[in-house]
Amino acid sequence: MSLNTQLIRSLKAPARPVWEEAPSRAGLSAKSGFLVLCCLGVLAPLWIVIVTSLSPKPVIDRAGGLVVLPQGITFVNYTELLSGGQVSRAILVSLGVTLVGTVFSMAVSVLAAYGLSRPGSLGHRFLLMALMATMFFGAGLIPTYLLVQSLGLTDTYLSLILPSAVSVFNILVLRGFFMGISPELTESARIDGAGDLRILLTIIMPLSRAVLAVISLFYAVGYWSAWFNASIYLTDQDMMPLQNVLIQLVQKNTATPTGLQQAVRTGELSTLGLQMAVMVLALIPVAVASPLVQRHFKKGMLTGAVKG
Amino acid sequence: MSLTAGSRPDGTRPAAAVEEPTAALVPEAAPQKGAAHKVPWRVRLRRDRALILMTLPAIGLLVLFNYIPLLGNVVAFQDYDPYASSNGITAIFHSPWLGVEQFSRMVDDPLFWSAVKNTIVLFLLQLVLFFPIPIALALLINSVIRPRVRAVAQAIMYLPHFFSWVLVVTVFQQVFGGAGIIAQTLEDHGWSGFDLMTNADLFKFLVTAQSVWKDAGWGIIVFLAALAAVSTDLYEAAAMDGAGRWRRMWHVTLPALRPVIALLLVLRVGDALSVGFEQFLLQRDAVGVGASEVLDTYVWNMGIQNGDFSYAAAVGLVKGAIGVCLVLAANKFAHLLGEQGVYKK
Amino acid sequence: MTPNSPSASAPSRRSFLASTAVAAAAVAGGVPLLTACGGSENKDREGTTSGKAADKLLPTFVASKFADPDIASKNGSAAGYTGKVELSALAASVAKPLGSGAPFKVMSPFWGSPPKADCAYYTALDKAAGTKVTWQNQDGNTYGQKLGAVLASSSIPDMVVVPIWELVGKISNAVTAKFMDLGPYLAGDKVKKYPNLAAIPSDSWKMGIFGGALRGIPMPTASATFNIAYYRKDVFDKKGYKVPTSPDEFMSWAKEATSAKAKVYAVGDMSWTAFNVFGVRPSGTLGWHIGDDGKLTYRIEQPEYLEALEWTRKLFAAGVVHPDDKARSGDAGQRFTAGKILMYNMDMSHWYGKTAEQAKSNPDFKIEAMDIFGSDGGDPQLWASQPANIWSLIRKGASKETVENALAAANFAAAPYGTKERMLVDYGVEGTHYTVKDGVPVKNDQGNQEVVNAWVMLAAPAPYFAHPDYPDVARKQVEWEQRMGAFMKKTSTYGMNIVEPTRYANLSSQFEQLEIDFVRGNKKLSDVQQAISTWKSSGGDKLRDWYKKLIDKNGSGN
Repeated sequence: MSLNTQLIRSLKAPARPVWEEAPSRAGLSAKSGFLVLCCLGVLAPLWIVIVTSLSPKPVIDRAGGLVVLPQGITFVNYTELLSGGQVSRAILVSLGVTLVGTVFSMAVSVLAAYGLSRPGSLGHRFLLMALMATMFFGAGLIPTYLLVQSLGLTDTYLSLILPSAVSVFNILVLRGFFMGISPELTESARIDGAGDLRILLTIIMPLSRAVLAVISLFYAVGYWSAWFNASIYLTDQDMMPLQNVLIQLVQKNTATPTGLQQAVRTGELSTLGLQMAVMVLALIPVAVASPLVQRHFKKGMLTGAVKG
Repeated sequence: MSLTAGSRPDGTRPAAAVEEPTAALVPEAAPQKGAAHKVPWRVRLRRDRALILMTLPAIGLLVLFNYIPLLGNVVAFQDYDPYASSNGITAIFHSPWLGVEQFSRMVDDPLFWSAVKNTIVLFLLQLVLFFPIPIALALLINSVIRPRVRAVAQAIMYLPHFFSWVLVVTVFQQVFGGAGIIAQTLEDHGWSGFDLMTNADLFKFLVTAQSVWKDAGWGIIVFLAALAAVSTDLYEAAAMDGAGRWRRMWHVTLPALRPVIALLLVLRVGDALSVGFEQFLLQRDAVGVGASEVLDTYVWNMGIQNGDFSYAAAVGLVKGAIGVCLVLAANKFAHLLGEQGVYKK
Repeated sequence: MTPNSPSASAPSRRSFLASTAVAAAAVAGGVPLLTACGGSENKDREGTTSGKAADKLLPTFVASKFADPDIASKNGSAAGYTGKVELSALAASVAKPLGSGAPFKVMSPFWGSPPKADCAYYTALDKAAGTKVTWQNQDGNTYGQKLGAVLASSSIPDMVVVPIWELVGKISNAVTAKFMDLGPYLAGDKVKKYPNLAAIPSDSWKMGIFGGALRGIPMPTASATFNIAYYRKDVFDKKGYKVPTSPDEFMSWAKEATSAKAKVYAVGDMSWTAFNVFGVRPSGTLGWHIGDDGKLTYRIEQPEYLEALEWTRKLFAAGVVHPDDKARSGDAGQRFTAGKILMYNMDMSHWYGKTAEQAKSNPDFKIEAMDIFGSDGGDPQLWASQPANIWSLIRKGASKETVENALAAANFAAAPYGTKERMLVDYGVEGTHYTVKDGVPVKNDQGNQEVVNAWVMLAAPAPYFAHPDYPDVARKQVEWEQRMGAFMKKTSTYGMNIVEPTRYANLSSQFEQLEIDFVRGNKKLSDVQQAISTWKSSGGDKLRDWYKKLIDKNGSGN
C-alpha cells in the first residue's frame, strides 16, 4: 500500500471503532495541546537550523552564530554541497552499502533471532550468552584494524558492512517479538510437517511486520550514518560514502591547525551555514523513510491470524 | 497456567511461552523446569539442528569481528607498546607484563572514582527522568486515531535523533547559554547573569534534558511496534466487559508493552556505565571535570588520547565485567517479577 | 548511549566504540602472524641527539638563490614577500625533474575534501617532479587513530606525514622503530642533490632526528611564532579604545568594552595571551628550562604559571569573557567577525584568513595583532617555538629507488618562493587552477577544489609570509614577529627533538584540563597546587633528573 492510498483511506474510513467511546473534549484538547507542544519543541530548533543553512554569509557573520529570523535566502550552501561528481558518486555508494548491508544484516539477525527464540533448545543458553557478552566487552581500534587488514578487507566495501553487520541489541529485540507470537500459530504448521525455516518465512515473519520494519530501519539508519569505518578502512577517495564526503566538505573552510599556512579560504561560504546544510541533507532520508516504516504500526495486526 | 494441546509428547514446549498480550485469553504452558535435560542430547540435536544452524552466521561474524580482536584485551595486564615489533600482534610478546598494575592504578585514581560516581548518578537520573518518556509518548501517539495526525507527529518526533551532539549542544547554548535567547530577554528586563550552560550544579539535569530532546522521539519506535501487535479484539472484549479508556490502557495496553519494557530495561541496566560520550566531551569544559567526567570520557582522556592502550583495556574490562553482572542481576529481578527479561532459565 | 535509545543499532554503535571508547591492543590467534619478530630498539628510542653528534647527521646547509625576500628574517621571524613577483619570469629551482617515475604511496592528513587521484593538479605536479605519487589522504581529524593503527600493522605506506600533535604516548617511539634513517641519502654534502632540501635551515633539520638518526624531513616553523591576541582595529578606532599595554590596562579596557545588553563582550578565552604576558613556557619538552638560578624546572613550577592563571580567572570572574567562550561552545573567530567579542586568541593563520574572508561581506572589518606586554607593563618574556612541527618520514625497508623518488617529491615541495615549482605547488597550473589579474594569481573553482593541502605536507622551504592579494598583511605579520622576537629567549630544550620515556608520557596531561577548569572557576587554587605537588612526587622529579642528564650530555639548547 502506498502512502497515498493510506492517506486517502484515512480520510474516508471512520477511524474510531464502534466500541470505543467518544473522547471527552477536555481530554482531547489536553492531548492535542501536548502533542503540538512536543512538535514545536522539535520544530523550533529545526527552524533555526534550516534558516541558518539558507542564510547568506554576511547574515551569519552578523549573527555570530545560528540565525533565528531569516534575512535573505541563498541556496549556495546546498549547491556547493551537491555540485561536483564526488557527492553524486558518494550518494550511490551510501545507497548501495545501506541497501546491501541492511538486507545482509536483516537476514543474519532474523535467522539468529529465530534460532534463539525457543528456550530449552540445545545450546540455547550458551549461544545467547556468547551473543550478549559482545555487548559489554569492546575490542578496541588496533586489534580490529589489524584483523580487517589481515582478512584483506581494507579498501573494499565489505569493510563497511561485515565488521558491523550484527547488532546484538537488534537480535534481542527481534527475538523478544518472535517469542511473543503465540505457539499455537506455528504448531499446526509443524504438525503438517513444515520445517523451521518454512515456519519462519511463512508464519513468523508475516506476523512480525512491525518489528521487522523497525529493525530494518535501525540497521539502515546505522549504515547510512556510519562514517568511522570508512575513514579508517578506506584510502581510495572515490569509494568514500556520503557521510565522509559531507564531513570533509564541511571541514573545507574550518581553521587549519598551526603549521599549515596554505589554508584555503574562499571567503564565500560560511562554515556554519554549510554545516547546517549538511544537517538538513542528513535529515532527508529519515523524512523519506519514516512514513514507509510507520505504515506498519497499525493496531491489531494479529487479529485475523489468532482467530484463524 | 496449564499444559496445552500444543505441547509435544516429549514434554518440552515447541515455542516460547512469554508473558505477552494474548496470555490473558489463551492460556499457555510454562516449560517444565528441567524437563529439557531429561532428553538425550542427540535427540535434542536432531530436533534443534535447524535452530542452531540458523544462529551460526551471526555467531560466526561475532566470533570473527568481536571475539578474536577481544583477545587483544590481554594487554590490560601489560605495558603494551603496539610498535615494539614488526606488527601489533607480535608486539604483544615484546611488551612487558605488569600483572594487575593497571588495575591498581585505576583504583588509586580519585578521578576514576569521581567518574564512576557521576556515571551512576546520571544513569539513575536518566532511568527515572528519561526512560518512561518514550513509553508515555508511544501511548499518546497510539491513542491518536487519525492516521494523518499520527504520521505527522511521529515523523516530527524522530528528527532530533539525527542531529549530531555538536548541534544539540550548540542549539542549547544559543537558547539557555549566558548570551542566549533567554539570558538576553532577562537582561532586557533588568535580570542579568542567567547562564544554565555553565552551571555545574544543574549540569546533570541539563544533559538529561538534552538526551530527552534528542532521543525520546526515536525511542518510541520499538514501543509503537509492540503496540501494533496488540489485537483489537482484546480492546473490544475489554470494552464489552465495561472497561473504560484508562482501564483498557491498564489491563490491555500496558501488559502488551511489559515484555518489551522489561527487555529494554534489562539491557539499559547492563549498559549503566555507558551514559554517553560525545555529549559530555563537548560540555566538560563548560562545567569542569568534577561535574562532567563520566566513565567513557575518562577512558578517552586517560587511555585513547594519551595512547595508553593498556590502561584503556583495563578500565574497559572492568566496565564490561560490571555490565555483565548488572545485566544478570537485572534479568534475575525481571524473572522475580514474572517477566521474561533477556533470557530465561 | 542514552537509555533505551535504539540508536544502538550495529553500525553506529560499533563505529562509535571504535572511535572513542575502549581501545585495546592487538589480535592474537586466528590471524596469520605476518612477519617474524623484529629487532627491539627500545634503548635508542628515548632521549635526543644534539650538539656535535647531531651536526654529523645533518645535511649541509646551502642557501637558496631565488627571490630575495622584501623583508629579511630577523629575531627568529619568518621572511616576508610584499612586492609583486613577475609570474612570467619564474625560474625553476632544479633544472630537470629528479624523480624517476617509480610509483610510491604517501599517507598524509588532509583537512577538507581531497581531490580525485587523477586530477589535473596531481598529474601536473607528478609530471613536473618526475614522480608518481599515490596519495592516501586521510581525514585530519581522525588522523591520529589511523596513524596509530597503520603503524601497528605490517603494511606502512612508503612515505608518512606525522604532525607533532599526533606524537602521543608510544607513537613517538614508533617513529624510530618504523621509519628509516635518511642519513645515507642526505647527511653532509649528499643533500646537494636536492638543493631545496639543502636550503632548509639546519635548526629545522635537527628536529628531524629521531632515535639518533635523521628520519624526518621537516616543515620549518619560525621560532618567533607566538599565539596572537587579535583585536578589531575598526571597532577600537570607532570607539576610541586604546590598545592595552599592561595587565591592569587590559582589565579596565575589557570592563569598559563589555556590554551584555548590547551583546558585546570584550574578549574570548585569553589564556594563551596570559601565558605569554607572564612569561610561562609552552607545554611539552619546551616547558623545561634551566633558570638563572641554575635550577631546572618545568613550566607548571614557574611562579608565573599560577599568576597567569589567576589573571585569566579574574577576566572570567569580571564577566568580560563571552558566555559562549566560557562554555567553550561555537567558534570564537566567528564571534570576533560578528563583533560579539573584540579580542581573541589564535595562531598566525587567522590574520590573512580573516582578512580575506571578510573583505567582501564586511568591508569595514580590520584585524590587528596586539603587541604582547610584560606582566609589569614592560617588555614581555617570550619563549621560542620549536623550528619544525610536522615531518614526512619514509618507511624502513623502502627500496633505494622509492627513497629517491620520495626525496625528489619532498625537494619539489620545498621549493622556495619565487620559483616555478613553488607556484605549481601553491597555485597549480595557470589557466586550469588560477588566472592572473593585475599580476596577482587568483584561484578558480577547480583550483580551490584541487590545490589543497597535499603536496605542501611533504616539506616546506624556510618560513615566509607571502599573500599576493594582501601584501600588507604579510608585511604586518613579519613586523609583528620581529617586534616580538626581540623579547624572545630559547629554553634549554630548544631545537632538540626529545622523546621522553613512555612511563612519563601521561604525567603532565592533566594540566590542560585543569587550566580550563580553574580559570572558569570550576577548580580551586588549592586543586592546582595539589596537582603540582602530585606531579612532582609521582614522577615529575624523576623526569627532572632525566632531563638534567639529557641536557648535561647534549648541552643546552639555548
